[in-house]
Amino acid sequence: MNPLPSDEPEVKPLDADIVCVGYGPATAGFLTTLTRGLQEESGQALESRAMPGLPPQVLCYERADDIAFGVSGVVTRGRAIRATFPELPLEEIPMATRVSDEKLVYLLDPVGASRRPALMQLADKVLQAFGVKQSGWELPYCPDFLHKRDGFILSLGQFNQWTGQQVMMSGLAQIWPSTPVAEALIENDKVAGVVLAADGTEVRAELTVVGDGPVGPVGRRLDDTMGMPEGHARDEWAVGMKMVVDLPESCTLPEGTVFHTIGYPEPEIFGFFYVHPGRVASVGIFVPSWLETPARTAYRYLQHFVQHPYLWQHLEGGRMRSWGAKSLLESGRRGEPHLCGDGYARIGEGSGSTNVLTGSGVDEAWLTGTQLAEAVLEIYRQGLPFSKENLKARYEARRRRSWLEDESIIAEKARNGFQRGVLTGFIGMGLAGLTKGRVFVPRPKEDKQPSRLEDFYVGRVSHSQIEKIRERCARDGKPLHDALMDAAGWPPVEFDGQLLVSHQDALLMGGKVQAPSDTPDHVVFLEPDVCIACHDKICIEICSGEAIHPGSGVPAFDHEKCVHCGACLWNCPLDNIEFCAAPGGLHSAEN
Amino acid sequence: MPYQIIVCGGLAPDPLQTLEPVTTPAGPGLKNELMLPAVFDPWAGHALYEAANLAKNVPGSVIKVVSIAPKAKLQQVMMTVAQKLPFELVPLDGPGGGFTDSASIAAALADAIAAIPGLDKSQMLLFGGWESATRGAGVVMQMVGEKLGITEQFLAVDELKVDESGALIIKERVEGGRHQVSKCAAPPAVLAWATGNLPEPSNHPQTGMANMRAMMPALQKAKAAALTTTVSYASVALPSVTRQTKIVKDVPAAQIAQELADWIRQ
Amino acid sequence: MEPILVLLHTTDEGALPKAALETLAVARTLGSYHLAVLGAQAAAAAQSVSEGALSVRAIEGDAVAVSRYATDAAAAQALVSASAATVVLAPCTLRFQRALPGVAARLNGACDTHVVAVDPDLSIHRWYYRQRMEATQSRSARPWFVLIEPGAADPCAAQPGAAAEVLPCAVETRTEVVGYQSPNADQQTIRPDAQLLFVAGAGWTKKQKDGQTHTDEAGNLILNFVQHNKTSLGSSKSLVDLSGEGQAVLPFLTHLHQVGQTGSTPRHRKGLSTCCHGEEPHVVGWRFINERRAINLDAACGWARGKADVLYVADAFEVMRELAKLL
Repeated sequence: MNPLPSDEPEVKPLDADIVCVGYGPATAGFLTTLTRGLQEESGQALESRAMPGLPPQVLCYERADDIAFGVSGVVTRGRAIRATFPELPLEEIPMATRVSDEKLVYLLDPVGASRRPALMQLADKVLQAFGVKQSGWELPYCPDFLHKRDGFILSLGQFNQWTGQQVMMSGLAQIWPSTPVAEALIENDKVAGVVLAADGTEVRAELTVVGDGPVGPVGRRLDDTMGMPEGHARDEWAVGMKMVVDLPESCTLPEGTVFHTIGYPEPEIFGFFYVHPGRVASVGIFVPSWLETPARTAYRYLQHFVQHPYLWQHLEGGRMRSWGAKSLLESGRRGEPHLCGDGYARIGEGSGSTNVLTGSGVDEAWLTGTQLAEAVLEIYRQGLPFSKENLKARYEARRRRSWLEDESIIAEKARNGFQRGVLTGFIGMGLAGLTKGRVFVPRPKEDKQPSRLEDFYVGRVSHSQIEKIRERCARDGKPLHDALMDAAGWPPVEFDGQLLVSHQDALLMGGKVQAPSDTPDHVVFLEPDVCIACHDKICIEICSGEAIHPGSGVPAFDHEKCVHCGACLWNCPLDNIEFCAAPGGLHSAEN
Repeated sequence: MPYQIIVCGGLAPDPLQTLEPVTTPAGPGLKNELMLPAVFDPWAGHALYEAANLAKNVPGSVIKVVSIAPKAKLQQVMMTVAQKLPFELVPLDGPGGGFTDSASIAAALADAIAAIPGLDKSQMLLFGGWESATRGAGVVMQMVGEKLGITEQFLAVDELKVDESGALIIKERVEGGRHQVSKCAAPPAVLAWATGNLPEPSNHPQTGMANMRAMMPALQKAKAAALTTTVSYASVALPSVTRQTKIVKDVPAAQIAQELADWIRQ
Repeated sequence: MEPILVLLHTTDEGALPKAALETLAVARTLGSYHLAVLGAQAAAAAQSVSEGALSVRAIEGDAVAVSRYATDAAAAQALVSASAATVVLAPCTLRFQRALPGVAARLNGACDTHVVAVDPDLSIHRWYYRQRMEATQSRSARPWFVLIEPGAADPCAAQPGAAAEVLPCAVETRTEVVGYQSPNADQQTIRPDAQLLFVAGAGWTKKQKDGQTHTDEAGNLILNFVQHNKTSLGSSKSLVDLSGEGQAVLPFLTHLHQVGQTGSTPRHRKGLSTCCHGEEPHVVGWRFINERRAINLDAACGWARGKADVLYVADAFEVMRELAKLL
């Protein structure tokens, strides 16, 4: 028996060979492929360079309190995932099933409050005249670029857990949850490892794999330090918010049913509904950065979305099991950073791999991870250093040669039109999709920005009414969005305590949000004067967890409610918010 | 004299999860039990933090955690717990739910503890939670103690101090918000902890790394616990708890107070 | 019919606790039984309720005058063996919960605790997963110790009967009971026998309408109410956690007050929740509170969803100020 040290461990650097930041689908693909490669090579030349005599020491640090607390479900064609698991045993992965039926549905506005262009209003009338049922028109086919009919449905939390347990049981990699990484350790323009947020421990490694997603601080700080490739920027985003629902007994939809929706609650908001095994469904929306309203509230919109008659016919009487939200980087290839440098490589969503035309990100992220793992194994076998040159030649080159790159190029300009208007957006997307990217709508010089509240509601809510709402909400310490949407004609949401619940209950019942009380606030408002002068404070309105609320001039942040979606970060027009890595957040493993 | 502290502790569903019973071929279980995220049982956790504190104050002491749980789940949970303090893990692969027989769990734990090489029973303190968050029975620790021949036992412990003679001064919860104070001259003893007084230690990545070097092989080699049962379940059901809630709003505070006063006096 | 033993203990003062009479009430629904009592003045206590018992035994004296595992276990083992019973009913007090599982292990039997009902066919009812689901179950192992949760039955009015046969009990122990520590009478806030449980939630410590916290006033309102009305005080986990971290909160709250999934599940006729959201992990601790009322600013809080009988949507500071005037 080894005696214990008598004091707190002193903070000293740890040595490893490879350190990964974040355990999402990209890192899961990386570690699955890498540990398999290491197992196959056992007894051969692959040896740790940090600890000679041992196999390479591979560490992964995940911010969330469990690797299953991922925030998404997914309908995916799963081409890359199936390349890794040709016999993917869906029955072993809870909540997974094959897609059995897929529909693209245009949702009419049944309440009359949706802000629709004239042409869309006309389309609604025509469809109504033709007797479309439940205010939803099922398009005759799902375009090829969008379809997932040969794919499957996953809960990412469950998929992460399934892959993570296999990786850990291999004994060749350690995945540490509840361990946020503060930043990359940069020395002489090289990445030499990472710094852990909890106690400043330096973890030194030859290769740092950055897979901390689009709002992860390690990736963002690397962008600040290394710069972005010319013409690249991360300027299109969305908040994805969803819930997992126990469907009522009366629901007869077979598992594997998928609806993609457009048109409601606002024309810019895309939605989805898909059925897992065991009469369980995922239902959610994406609120994009080009939605002009400064009262962006994914939660209120989600409640109207689930009550749309086309969905409500299946959902009424259901019960919320789980709820969550995350930011999605929707800049696609335009948001791609430098994919590698000396000592580091970028994978997954934060590396710009999401395809905004096909609406697919998980499989692409997985692919980037597997490509990096193949490159790493090759570099090990050849006894080479993890230099920019070697990583470019093996990882980036693989990526450029793959379908991911081909499809990213097609998608690159597909959403330009949404910066001009929603109809132009749909037309542009359709054109790009059908012509494989050859025809597209050019992007305007200036991207769409949220309007000022008063301008946005001209003709619907008067200035004096807005002023009164402002005063009342400031007094009650509440965001404006509910009051504004009420004033703009959205019907009040009648809570049923089951599926339609208050935002706070969604946090508790659905997200099961928890936070350690001894950590400092991870959302920091940098310059108080900037916040005080800010007119609309979109950070308060967009906050997925009601964690940001009106304070005394500077918004107040309650870290116990934060779901770590990072929406405050990209919704601050003045770049006045720092979003740091911290543990806690969602504790639901079903998303 | 340094202590050899054995902490028994299993897993429990992460506290905010929605739980529903189902019938399986092996008896009652939880719906989607495999996918429910798990945590180290909260009271066993308190025992572990108290063990760490004691070990820190008595240099040379060692801590071993003995746990029965599905090993992949246990590994996942250990990735968090192992960052908090240095300890060795003695894992047994087995069901982690509340419907397993407490007597059988106790027997398996006692066997595993007895088989620990080099264990000096005269210096052993057997720690655990006073109840689990799953079965909530509060019987396993006493049974393990008996099977190991330890008859100095304490339940619902909130404090342990060692006096200058080496005697253990132990505070146990008793009814009515009081504590009973006892003095146990020397180990071995069983201490089944209530909450104690220590906060959860923060994570130390280096501690985790050091722990995991021995834990990973131990988990890979974990043997299946041989469990039996003498319990037959006729039914397991969720209680019907819904009341018809009357919501009183927009009423002056004085009127509400009057209504409450009448109700309290009834 | 299996031979049943009702095993009880006395208080330090030599009386039978209420829980003992409740267990006796449960036993009477099952048929005839043997009776055994251990503890201070156990023989007299046994005789005071022995009417109708098949046999009456007791162990008393210095060794068992205090609550201690080694001596209690040895005494219980002797009493169970002497009765030859295969089923032992006992109150689930902390004294017996500490002692009897080990005796079951010694005798190769089994022990079930927190039992809330026993059917005539010896099926028992108990809760799992922190009061979240209830099971009906039986056991094949014998002897079987069934520990009845205090408050699960009304105490019976037992009559005196035959005198107890007093058994010897000698056992060595390294443990000496030093005494009790309890809060001063004026600081006593946990009262298991109180009619009303008053629960304080974290809302008491949050910023109020004027943008300031008022924890001093909150503390006074709560303590005055609890002391004046002799109610029992409970708390949500979040408030206890805050108190434990040395923040400026309510210093009289400890983990002993915590009600809920990771705290206690007290039994009181009425419960009043204040400034607490009523989420499920907390409300499972209310499983055995019959009448429930709550005061919360949020009309959509958990209490509104069928967890309370009445929810007052109001400022608890204002209501408690008014209530203080009335009571």
